[in-house]
Amino acid sequence: MSELITRRTMLTGGAASLLAAPWVARAQANTLRIGMQSILSGPIALLGTSSRNALLMEQDRINAAGGFLGRPIEFVFRDSKGQPQEAARLTRELVNSTGCELLIDAEASSGAFAVQEVVRDLGVACIHTNSETSSLTADPKIRVPTAFRVARQGVHDAVAGSMYLSGYADAKKLNKWATCSPDYAYGRDTTAQYLQFFKQFKPDLEITTEAWPKLGQPDFTEVITKLIQAKPQALFTLLYAGDLSAFVNQGNIYALFSQMAVATPNVDYPVLAAIKTLPPGIQSATRYLETFPDTPANREFGQAYLKRWNERPTNWAWQNTVAMQFYEAAIKKANSLDGKAVAAALTGMKINTPFGVDGTITMRDDHTIINYAIGWGQTTPKEPFIIDVKAADWGKIIELETEWKKQQKYI
Amino acid sequence: MDLDALGACLTTPACVVTQTTSGLIVGMLLFLVAAGVTLIFGVLKIVNFAHGTFYMLGGYVAYTALGATDSYALAVLAATLAMALFGILFERALISRVYGSNVLMQLLVCYAVVLIFDDVVKIVWGPEFHAMGMPPAFQVPPLFIAGGVVPPFYAVLIGVAALIALVLGVGLSMTRLGKTVRAAAINSQMVSALGVNTTLLFAIVFAIGGGLAGLAGALAAPVRSLSPGMGFSVLIESFIVTVIGGMGSIAGALVAALVIGMVRGFGTIGFPQFTDGLIYIVMIAILLLRPQGLFGRSS
Amino acid sequence: MKRHPALREAAIAAVALIVVLMIPLLHRSPAFEDFVIRLSAMALFATSLNLLVGNTGMVSFGHGMFYGLGAYAFALTMQMTELSLPVAAVLAIAITAFAALCVGAICVRLGTDYFAFITLAFQMLFYSLIISWQSLTGGDQGLRGGLPRREIFGFELSSQLHLYWFCAVVAVLGLLALRHISASPFGQTLRMIRDNENRTGFLGVVLWRARLWAFTIAGAFAGLGGVLAALFVSGAYPELADWPNSGQAIFAVMLGGINSFLGPVLGAAILLALNDVVTRFTEYYGLVLGLVILAFALGLRRGVLDFLKFAWPRGTK
Repeated sequence: MSELITRRTMLTGGAASLLAAPWVARAQANTLRIGMQSILSGPIALLGTSSRNALLMEQDRINAAGGFLGRPIEFVFRDSKGQPQEAARLTRELVNSTGCELLIDAEASSGAFAVQEVVRDLGVACIHTNSETSSLTADPKIRVPTAFRVARQGVHDAVAGSMYLSGYADAKKLNKWATCSPDYAYGRDTTAQYLQFFKQFKPDLEITTEAWPKLGQPDFTEVITKLIQAKPQALFTLLYAGDLSAFVNQGNIYALFSQMAVATPNVDYPVLAAIKTLPPGIQSATRYLETFPDTPANREFGQAYLKRWNERPTNWAWQNTVAMQFYEAAIKKANSLDGKAVAAALTGMKINTPFGVDGTITMRDDHTIINYAIGWGQTTPKEPFIIDVKAADWGKIIELETEWKKQQKYI
Repeated sequence: MDLDALGACLTTPACVVTQTTSGLIVGMLLFLVAAGVTLIFGVLKIVNFAHGTFYMLGGYVAYTALGATDSYALAVLAATLAMALFGILFERALISRVYGSNVLMQLLVCYAVVLIFDDVVKIVWGPEFHAMGMPPAFQVPPLFIAGGVVPPFYAVLIGVAALIALVLGVGLSMTRLGKTVRAAAINSQMVSALGVNTTLLFAIVFAIGGGLAGLAGALAAPVRSLSPGMGFSVLIESFIVTVIGGMGSIAGALVAALVIGMVRGFGTIGFPQFTDGLIYIVMIAILLLRPQGLFGRSS
Repeated sequence: MKRHPALREAAIAAVALIVVLMIPLLHRSPAFEDFVIRLSAMALFATSLNLLVGNTGMVSFGHGMFYGLGAYAFALTMQMTELSLPVAAVLAIAITAFAALCVGAICVRLGTDYFAFITLAFQMLFYSLIISWQSLTGGDQGLRGGLPRREIFGFELSSQLHLYWFCAVVAVLGLLALRHISASPFGQTLRMIRDNENRTGFLGVVLWRARLWAFTIAGAFAGLGGVLAALFVSGAYPELADWPNSGQAIFAVMLGGINSFLGPVLGAAILLALNDVVTRFTEYYGLVLGLVILAFALGLRRGVLDFLKFAWPRGTK
């Protein structure tokens, strides 16, 4: 009998305590809360922390200028720890319980897809700022009316990169290439895209070997020796952040960099800060570079960020900045925070921003941005670290992107 | 799957030698990292799920020490001693309270430490990744030994790992301390009744196990990235090595590490996108044929 | 007077279910509803694990594999075929049970420590299959595009309220079934095996067969939990099948009480609530969770429900 009481008491007591406070929050009367979720812990925490840094700078700037529709904005930051089911929960919590009226989704790819489904159900305005996987906006089945992407895109990168690299390969007579990319969806898909366009621009391209280390793999030794043995003239790698840093250090002791040319889109300030002995002459894209575009506005951003956070910006930083610039312009135009109204204003919108090729970036009809600065150059051990930067040809990028979308049956 | 490439490699002497050498390097590094787990389990029958954290902290301490003293040797020493001390604290404060308990309770305690220190590292050193860089003494071109490429730094690491294998193996089976420690693991009350301070003994074992993990972290730091949460992948690797080799057998861990090294060395050629799946299949196969691991004792 | 424990338990379950179903009619709180939906999935997952760990003494580190398989099987069936939701769910559970049978047949003959690691190896193999088989599973990005046709018996599961009711009902029924299994003679056999397998063997019980049954049943119920998880995220992600998720179930069991039937449910509720609350205040969730776990492990030394039983033992029973 006492067993009955114990269990029932616990159940109802439990239910009562669950009803208590923590899930109900009241937003302060006038403040406009903007939900931001990202990966703030673990090996890839820099993605989230640099996004947050940039957003805090934008928060100050926007509030100094009067906020959105006369209301001061305030970010609510959440850490999904890179777990998609947690990302989905957080989106719902931010909108339903914390009273956020706009969303900035700074998750990486898998989280972004999870958030997309929740946004589809909720109908709130959301800008994805860090996911580079094309299908998020290119695939009509995945696209959502109120969700947009302000970030680099894998397929744009692939076209721009292969255009530059085919020119470079022709000039230096490098026909035999090897690839080394992290073995996960983004690594595989983007490498396939790069190779597809690369072969188009340079038909005599020969891939001697492909290496596929695991994302986060600490030891690349067997991969490095395999690559060296295949005797390619050049290596294309999509490794990034900590993996790229480890790969460079391990490659150095095998003198890999003296045996082949190396190309990667991923030498950015964090990699440069970590590796003290970066070999010169690596062909790299500029994910964010203070000197590209070579404008005072861009340099000002870089310096302001460095001063405030004691580290240099990443592409995640500029992407989140531009997202806020888009929100600012769209909300002003729509004069509303309603998801549909903001979405209507954002579609096709063109804004002035330091990170565009010609000082502007456009949000296309398929909810993703174009005309952002993509450049390729080569590394050098001292400032500005990447030199001889050539800007990509956006006309060509869009032409080939359209073909690719047709191939994938997205249009 | 690229079986043609694998076949081509296996029939080319140069390729066989090179990939075997890199398999050897990978294997010895794996053993170096896993040695601490094997020791602690072999002696105390405790699975140290916090092993990755010792490794991570060893790497970070070495990184900071190198920055402060500009001496790699001192950095390695600092990391080893710091982690030995941490091992003692960990054992005294936490592990000693769960000695008799369910293995899951021990797992819980270790995992709590992992969670706590992943955040501590993030608070102290920041969320971004760091790289120590190769100490100037090792910034030399690779050696060519018997047709295989061996970077001097790895040659040193292999030497250290082999030395540790020898010392641990011989130490546990032949020295008085080793025998006492093993006896205490089997029946601590008896050993204690014989006048041995088992408390001190167990603390020493954790000091050595922790110190080994810290040493591995410091030695690997020049070539790997430091970031919060880096202990995770190392933990899994160490477990695979320990389980395949036989829980508690140093010789087993060495052989298992080399087997995995070879699987990776040639797997990356034949199965570039499924190399880790291959390793799990090998692990399952070995456990089915010999559940106690290669050199483990069947219970 | 003869006791009818099964009837009594069904009555308690019915009362609890009615209370839970009624709450949103009094006060809507989306966060609470999300919590209950996720708890339903996790409670089934953790309780099914305890059938192995607490009842049979089989420590499985790889149980998340069946949770993930249930989620993927269900989500793939929904996305790729025209089958209705209940049929897809049953199919997913059947597939998971079959997989548990196969894996169990290989694993159950091993001694405790090795059983733990070989189940872990199978889980890691399954996880790497999910990641590698990108064309089917979407790889690390998971199944994208959402689940279509989320209706069952007139309920629209894309509505949070309906999903809440559905999950609560499924969870209570599932737990009731597990309770029935646990209290049955079969369940008692499992506990005998846990306590003294030699003696149980001498009594004529075929040990490996009993263990295999336990493993398969546990896998099937984990798969059911996975189906609920797939409904919540409207898809399936490899993280559901990864070993930190197995770890979550283990922690739920340990925190709640390994020797109490509702222990894992309570443990799951504690973990989820902690997650929800702590992430609102700090990004250092790991630090807080670690300290809480230490408090439980070193302070209480056993799960909450076990501790309550220990501190306030039931009368003359």
